[in-house]
Amino acid sequence: MLLLSYTHVSRSLRIDPADPRPIWRQIEENVRHLVASGALAYGAPVPSVRDLARDLQVNPATVSKAYQRLTDTGVLTVKRGEGTYVSDSPPDFSPRERGKRLLQGAVRYASLAVTLGADRDETRGTLEDAWSNLAGGAEEQTEEEREEWTSSPSKS
Amino acid sequence: MDLVAIEELSVRYGRRLVLDRVSLSVPEGSVYVLLGRNGAGKSSLVRCLLGEQRPGSGRVRLLDGDVWSGRAALLREVGVVPEEPDAPPSMNARQLARFCSGLYPSWDGAGFAARLERFGVPPGLPFGQLSKGQKGQVTLSLALAGSPRLLILDDPTLGLDPVARRAVFDELIVDLADRGTTVFLTSHDLAGVEGIADRVGILRGGRLLVDEEMDTLKQRFRRLRLPTGDGEGLEALEPVSVTTRGWGSEVVVAGWDESFARDDVEVAAMTLEEIFLSLVGQEGAR
Repeated sequence: MLLLSYTHVSRSLRIDPADPRPIWRQIEENVRHLVASGALAYGAPVPSVRDLARDLQVNPATVSKAYQRLTDTGVLTVKRGEGTYVSDSPPDFSPRERGKRLLQGAVRYASLAVTLGADRDETRGTLEDAWSNLAGGAEEQTEEEREEWTSSPSKS
Repeated sequence: MDLVAIEELSVRYGRRLVLDRVSLSVPEGSVYVLLGRNGAGKSSLVRCLLGEQRPGSGRVRLLDGDVWSGRAALLREVGVVPEEPDAPPSMNARQLARFCSGLYPSWDGAGFAARLERFGVPPGLPFGQLSKGQKGQVTLSLALAGSPRLLILDDPTLGLDPVARRAVFDELIVDLADRGTTVFLTSHDLAGVEGIADRVGILRGGRLLVDEEMDTLKQRFRRLRLPTGDGEGLEALEPVSVTTRGWGSEVVVAGWDESFARDDVEVAAMTLEEIFLSLVGQEGAR
């Protein structure tokens, strides 16, 4: 399976100074997105606080806060003396929280479909294709395609 | 504990009041960024912090001590990068390090050499022959090598090219990560400090206009675009500036409220630079 390199992780985590969300929240949500999309696989290492802070040119305390929240919710796991990794299993969201997140993404996708003039069947079909791609055909995806999947985190 | 504590500080040069009852504090482990146009009072404030300028009134405490009377002892635990890096022009970086190593109780010579190498500054070249950027980098390397509890940086990236600027922030970030250093810095480089500041102060005409956590500052400022002549509900959002454009008005508000809902108003978040400009950009609005 093709994974994002460290450089790609940092780049995909790029923060936006014009985003109203605090930087730690942007990092937190971007990491969730990378994990959910499979770009960061379960068990994969993530950059250290020090390295990511330098890559993003932000205060290490800010990265630390994001990592702490991701660790608290089970997305990341700290292995003492080794580093920080994506946890081995999916994060444990409540059904309500999971539903809320699903709906947010679905609304964005549905809006895109409508503005492009796609009908329901085509829209559903494309979703099926995307699902298959994520689940099985990851190695067939080019890096660009993969980045496209991971570079548009939600803005609430 | 607050490593910097300024209370009601006023400074007067002759008749001119350059600092007017300024209060701010920097808790241990945090990064405070002080912004302001030239002449806003930043340098006077830094001089008071370093015990080079006696406060007209008010109190300045550094590491919980009185900096005016206990300057020498206190500054051993403080790393300073002045706006104009200054050292004997005939001494090279290696000689400067040897000299400084005697002044600081915990001197990190290996760290100094490594930093100089990362900056690409030749250690054997006399200080007077270094470029402005290199002088700043040597000064920063000396400041960090003293393993200071507090770093005071007066516009450390002024006049640096983007590569040198990035190198300065890289070293600062690594030091924050490794040692949790407390930092007080003044800057004109708003994009550079945006991700680093925990707390922001904005000086205008000697007064501290803003003294606030970065996150809350960015939460409360928004730029609104709306049809001209329809300001309904805007007063409550604390407008700080209004610009009339061809298509309508652009209003910057300092008290944004998520519950504000008007279909004809476009809302955009602002960068630190945009917030700064909206507050100090119009000179008339004192």
